[in-house]
Amino acid sequence: MQTTPVYIICSPRPLVGKTLLARQLCEFLLLKNGEVAAFDINLKEPSLLDYLPDVTETAEVDDTFGKMALMDRLIVNDGIAKVIDLGFHAFDEFFKMTDEIGFMKEAARRKVAPVILFVADTDRASARAFPVLQEQISRIALIAIDNEHVVRGELPAAMSRGRILRVAALPVFLRTYVDRLTFSFTGYLRSEKDSSTELHQWIRRNYLSFRELELSLILQRS
Amino acid sequence: MAKPVVIVVGADKGGVGKTTVSRTLLDYFSANNVPARAFDTESPRGTLKRFHPDLTEIVDMTTTSDQMKIFDTLNSGTSVTVIDVRAGLLSPALASLRDIGFLDAAKSGQITFAVFHILGPSIASLDEIAETANFMGGAKYFLVKNFINDTQFFQWDQATYNSYFHRIKDATELTIPKLNELAYEQVEVASVPFLRFVANKGLHDEAANYSFVLRGYVRHWLAAVWSEFDRIKLTELVGSSPGKRGGEK
Repeated sequence: MQTTPVYIICSPRPLVGKTLLARQLCEFLLLKNGEVAAFDINLKEPSLLDYLPDVTETAEVDDTFGKMALMDRLIVNDGIAKVIDLGFHAFDEFFKMTDEIGFMKEAARRKVAPVILFVADTDRASARAFPVLQEQISRIALIAIDNEHVVRGELPAAMSRGRILRVAALPVFLRTYVDRLTFSFTGYLRSEKDSSTELHQWIRRNYLSFRELELSLILQRS
Repeated sequence: MAKPVVIVVGADKGGVGKTTVSRTLLDYFSANNVPARAFDTESPRGTLKRFHPDLTEIVDMTTTSDQMKIFDTLNSGTSVTVIDVRAGLLSPALASLRDIGFLDAAKSGQITFAVFHILGPSIASLDEIAETANFMGGAKYFLVKNFINDTQFFQWDQATYNSYFHRIKDATELTIPKLNELAYEQVEVASVPFLRFVANKGLHDEAANYSFVLRGYVRHWLAAVWSEFDRIKLTELVGSSPGKRGGEK
């Protein structure tokens, strides 16, 4: 039976690469499925809406109306993968709410598969936030993102025991290049004929990680 | 045959959440498979009846005929009778119960009688406790601090409160937590029991389309209220064995 994945990209820290990851994941899902629905709850940081306005809508969790508008969309098993770029300022409120309303249980009942992509960092806020997620989210659905650009070394022990998705650091000049609002990862793969370039390989490696993540989730649920 | 159980929910002040507490009680009994009926004394237009029309009858407790309707039918087979007493009517209602010999029957153990006294934030509520205490001989007495309507209990001096609270032997305190305003409002608009709202169903069991978020808030809140009822061993009080209940998933 069809399940609908909901990827929630989050961290209690700003500027750890959430939006970069959300952009890539959205483009990967668009490439693979032809459609994706993205939600930007990240308006205080670089915004997904600026990069992918055609598939992104803004959302809020500051009040109950905002929560209703967002969660009532997420809980639908419509076959369209969802990506949420959750800003650091909304982290606590979002997961407090999902806990209170029993989001994980209801999602399982409705064949919706939330996947939490927690962008790891070595600071105290991240160390405090991760166990909170572990209490609420099953081991299969909680993935620590080891962004080399942020962590630069070993992941904190608590985060290294579960599932990990590694993202290699990009050189600064490439980072500046991909940060342009007009840049498209899939567009680059299509237009750049030389597949040996560092960026080409970086994007392909990340797409492959997403593909592996998808497959492992499907296998573990079957 | 099981002993009849009468639960009076009241306060001498309006707007403190009497009907809300009555609704949670009816939902709790329904989930625990305890047959219950209710009387709404907000005659002629009862709020409780709007939410539980099949279980509720509107009565005027000041009239003898309606007192007969309630108390002469206690042995009709339904084990629990919940009476939602209109604002300002708690003390007179208890006085009527005393006059008809009901309180004596409770004292002698023929009937299980419990009072859920919903407290408001002001000192007037404490005077109510003192007044009510005179009638509480054979009753289980529960003082309910209801936070659902954002009541703040800071106006009370704890020592003063305790001095009133301890006047009633074996009084037990209960706390009803706050429910998200929008969720509360949506249940009001839907006019269904909390349980049905959580299950996304209308009054006649038809599928409804309530917000998942609001249903989640109500489910979370109802679980907290029921855990208070579990804490005071309400199912045992009404003579039912505690077991796994339906509707709580």
